[in-house]
Order: sequence, then C-alpha cells, then structure tokens
Amino acid sequence: MTDVISTHAVAERRHSKAINRIIGRYWLVATLLVMIAVFAFLRPQLLDSSNIATILRSSALMAIMILGLTWVIAAGKIDVSFMQIAALGNMTTAWLLASGSGWTLAAICGVAVGAVAGLLNGTLIAILGIPALIVTIASGGICASIAAALGKGTSIRIADAGLLGDLLFTNWGPVPVIAVIAALFYLISWYAQEKLTFGHYIFAMAQNEKAVNEAGIAARSLLLFLFVLSGICSAIAGVLLAASLSSGQPMIGSSYFIDGLTAVLLGGLMLRIGKPNVLGTTTAILLLSVLVSGSAMFGWADYQRQIIKGVLLLVGVAVAMQFGHRSSSPMQGA
Amino acid sequence: MPRHGILPAGTARLLAFAALVFILGAAFTAVEPRFLSTQNISAVTRHMAANGLAALGLTLVVIVRKFDLSFAGTACFSAMTIGYMIAGGHDLWLCIMVGVLAAAVVGAFNGMAISYFGLPDIVTTIATGSIAGGLAFLYSQGRTIFQNFVTSGILDLNDARLFGYSVSFFFLIALYAVAWVFMHRTRYGASFYATGENPVSAYFSGVPVRTYTMMAFVICAVTSVFAVVLILAESGTADTNKGATLLMPAYAGVFLGAALLGGTSVLATLAGTLLITMLLDGFSLLGVPYYYSDGVVSAILLTGVVLFDARVRQLFSDLASFIQPVTSASEKRS
Repeated sequence: MTDVISTHAVAERRHSKAINRIIGRYWLVATLLVMIAVFAFLRPQLLDSSNIATILRSSALMAIMILGLTWVIAAGKIDVSFMQIAALGNMTTAWLLASGSGWTLAAICGVAVGAVAGLLNGTLIAILGIPALIVTIASGGICASIAAALGKGTSIRIADAGLLGDLLFTNWGPVPVIAVIAALFYLISWYAQEKLTFGHYIFAMAQNEKAVNEAGIAARSLLLFLFVLSGICSAIAGVLLAASLSSGQPMIGSSYFIDGLTAVLLGGLMLRIGKPNVLGTTTAILLLSVLVSGSAMFGWADYQRQIIKGVLLLVGVAVAMQFGHRSSSPMQGA
Repeated sequence: MPRHGILPAGTARLLAFAALVFILGAAFTAVEPRFLSTQNISAVTRHMAANGLAALGLTLVVIVRKFDLSFAGTACFSAMTIGYMIAGGHDLWLCIMVGVLAAAVVGAFNGMAISYFGLPDIVTTIATGSIAGGLAFLYSQGRTIFQNFVTSGILDLNDARLFGYSVSFFFLIALYAVAWVFMHRTRYGASFYATGENPVSAYFSGVPVRTYTMMAFVICAVTSVFAVVLILAESGTADTNKGATLLMPAYAGVFLGAALLGGTSVLATLAGTLLITMLLDGFSLLGVPYYYSDGVVSAILLTGVVLFDARVRQLFSDLASFIQPVTSASEKRS
C-alpha cells in the first residue's frame, strides 16, 4: 500500500518536474508566439510580407553581430566592446570606399579590423588574465574613437552599396537572403555547440576555468578564439550595416548594445537554463525585433522601448538566477 | 598583499607617480605654454572635481569587488530630475536633494538585486542603467531643460571661487579627505575591504557583507549625482546625456590609480583622476578633436593596467633574467 502511494507520488513529482522543464525550456518561444499573436491581432499590418522581411532583416544583422558574444558570455566572460567593434568595421569599410577602393577590399579590411580588435581583447583577457570588463570597456573606447576619427566625427556617405547592398535587399518571398545566411550560420554554430567537444568546453569554462585547464584543454587558446570570433562577428555585422545604411556611422546604433546583451541573456533562459546558447539567442532576437516593430506601430518612443528592454533584461536575469545553478551563473564578476 | 595604510603600496610608487605627473606637466608646458596658466589650472581643477566625484563612489564598488555600469545612466536621470525641479522654480538645494534621492533609490535597487538576490552585477547594472537612461526622457520627452537655470543659482557652483580656484575643487578635496579617513582609518572602511577580499570570512567576522555591498552601490550612485551637478552648473542646461561622459574617466581613474599605486584605494583614485584629467585637458588644449578623448583615456587605461599587472611585470623580470642570467649570477658569487 505504502509502496503504491510512494510510487504514485514519485511519478507525479516526475510528471510535474517534466512539465516544469518543458516550461523552463520553451517559455521563450511561447512568449514570442503570444507576442506575435497579440500584435498581429491589434495591428494586422505586422504580418505584411514587407514588414516580415524588415523584421527578419534587422534580426539577421543583430544575430550575426552577437553570435560570438553568445559564446563569450556562455564561457563566463563579458565583451562590452562588440558594438564599437561593429562601428569600427562599419567606418573602416565606408572610409575605404570613400577613398576609392573596391567593395571586396573594403569589406575584407572591415572584417580584419574586427579580428584585430578581438585579438587584442583575447590576448589581454585570456593570456594576461586582466578582467574582461576593464579590457573591453577600454578597447571599446579605442575602437569608438578610431571610428569617429576616420569620419572626422561625422558619418561617411557611400555612393554605391555594391553587391552586398543587392544581397541585403534581395528577398525570397517574405524571407530576405541575409536571414537565410544568418540561419545557416546559426545552424552550423548550433552543431558546434551541441555535437562537438568545443561546445562542452565553452560551458565547462563558465563552471571552472582552472579545472578545464587542468583537464588538459587549452582553455586560454579557446578563450582567445572566442574573443577573436566575437570581434569578427561584430565587424561582419558592421560591414553589412554599411551596405544596408549606404553610409558609415561612427555612433552606429547604441541601441545594439543593450539589445545584444538582452538577447544573449534572455536566450540563456531557453533550452540550457542559465547558459547562453545560440538557439536561445535566435529566439530572443526575434522576440526583440517583433517588440520593436510592434511598438513602432503603436507609436511608442525610443526611450519607452529602452525602458521595456531594460526591464526585460532585468527580469530575464532574475529568472535565470532562479532556475539556474548559482555556481554556473553567467558573468558573475566577469 | 597589504592594501591598507597611508600609502597603498610604498613610497616608491608615490614618488614614481609624482615624477610621472611632473614629466607630463613639463611635456605639455613645453608644447603649449598655456598649460601652466592660471586659467588652465583652474579648468583642470574644475574638471577634476567632476571626474573625481564620480570615481570616488566607483572606488567603493570596486573595493567590494563588483562593477557598476549604471551610474552614468543614473546620473542622466538625476540630471534631468534636477533640471525639471529647477525649471519648476524650486529651491536649488531642494532640487539637488531630490536628485540625490532619486539616484540613491536606483543605487539601492542595484545593491538589493546584487547583494540580497545574488544577481550578476554587470548585467544588472547595465539593465538598470538603461532603464534610468530611458526614464531621463520622461520629464521633457528628451528636450533640453534650461528654464530658471540662471536665476536658480546653480551657475554659482561653477563660478564661485576660493583662493582663486573653483569651490568644487575644495569640495572634492574635502570629500576625499572624509572618504580617506572613513576607508583607511575606521573599521567601517576595513569592513568594505574585508567584504571584497573574502565575503565568507568577513561574514563570520561579524561584517554584514550584504549591507556593505549595497551601501557601495548607493554611494556610487550618490557621488555620480554630485559630479553631474557640477556638469549642470558648468553648462547651464540639463540634457538627457549629461551624465554619459562620466563613465570612461571614472573607470580610468579608479583602475589607472590602482595600477599606479598598487591597489584600489581612495588616494589611488585621486591620483588616477589627476592624471586622467591632466591628459584630457592637455589634449583639448592642444586642439585634439573631442572624439579622440575617449580613445586616449581608454588607451592610457589599458596601458596602465597592462604595464602594472603583476603577471606582466613577472614576465619582464623573467625576460631580463633570461637575457643576462649569467652575469647577475656570477656577480653575486664574486
């Protein structure tokens, strides 16, 4: 008799645990769907194919920018320079175009500059062990200054958006090509994160960097690689933005900063709770883009959106800490 | 490593710092004789007051081994609060009190979230900084507030002189003196250090660790308001981005000072701030465009932190002993 009761209780507990886990893993997707449904009900033009294309295009740029950041934060570090690196890549490209070189060279240089900035971050953080926040605040400041100096404090106009511009504004139905490319990137990185030892090492780094090193994994090289990757990703997004905006902007979207961090941390609340991961980041980016597009239709001002995003980030972190293990919390003290 | 005492880490470092200041001053004077003019020195002391006040609060946060990225946003919010109150015709001191109170609320929120609820410091303060920055727009929808500024008397804070120097500089010195006594001569200061060094042992030694962490964040928010009041007094208008420029010099002051004098302390921050302000002012006197200033500060911060990093100096001494190991060994023997 007691046996039956206890097994029943255990089964029930397991059942409720499973439900909890499913809610924990997929609530972000549910929120996204509910948000789309609500906005679409109130403002049907949200689901116009042109609007969907706009949402997907901005999401794709955002996604490319913070792909590397996702893993940096997943490894327990922080990179606050990604936005300025994107600005530097953006201005480098625009400056080279303005001084007469071709798109290929300009784009390659733009990305290379990002790689150099990432290498600087990575060397100082991974090899010398200087706190990631200090290094990336400073390198971000340097990148922003160089970006502004390239345009003497103002933006640079680009006459011809070139092949990249065509690519950015080509749609397959409602889906822009660039979104497909970004999705491919994320598919590959999802594979690397989930199926290769590479991904396991990243999450192990956040738990205990010393232990990872003792286990014979080249933790420093891995961290260095992650920062270089983050720099390259940001710079690619910067180059794409140059084509998209037909200009180089030294102060390129400071909104990307809070958006990027919000997306990565909200994404960390999905699938692998408390750990940033690429699929979670994708969902969170879509969530933010729909929020921006929907709120624009309601005529909300920029600062109201900024407040909403800040609250989202705060709630996201609080929930992540509640569900996740405190020892493996992302970014504690950097 | 002992971190308490009158001189954070020996007289040698202090002498080196004095020499550095002297060389820097001499170099600027050689290039631009106006550097030593009364007018410029008065300007340096005034700018130093704003930078130094913001850095003082950050010092405490860094001493408890946390980071605060929100104080710039908080300062913007407070600046607009004060501006709104002044435009409403209230008494100046009441306005400043309300501004301080508003910032203290944000700081207390940060402190609560981080110390009592265990949220990660960097993400939490980025979120609250963003929210506070958004709230700054609420008063005037982002428009500049300038009404009543001339008649309110806030401009006198900038213009008032004592022995030929701005009163704000003496306020800075007085506040630093109080902070020095508090941090380095009372058990409360020692408790702040203990909280940062080892929260667990501090807790078992009877230090209310969470209260101290929270207090650090509140003080950081409050001193950033002091700084922004000086900025308001200098410009005579309240803008939504008035506090944004505080972030970089404050971080640079704290960490450069810590690197120079071998540990985070009140005196080290004062030293770091002096150096940063001299550099910024010197460069602006030489006519270097404004957009270089962040880059210069960042570059100096990075160089300082790298050069004075214990591991890097170890590397240098290793290198030195590698180059001439035999001579030094034989000298010792003979």
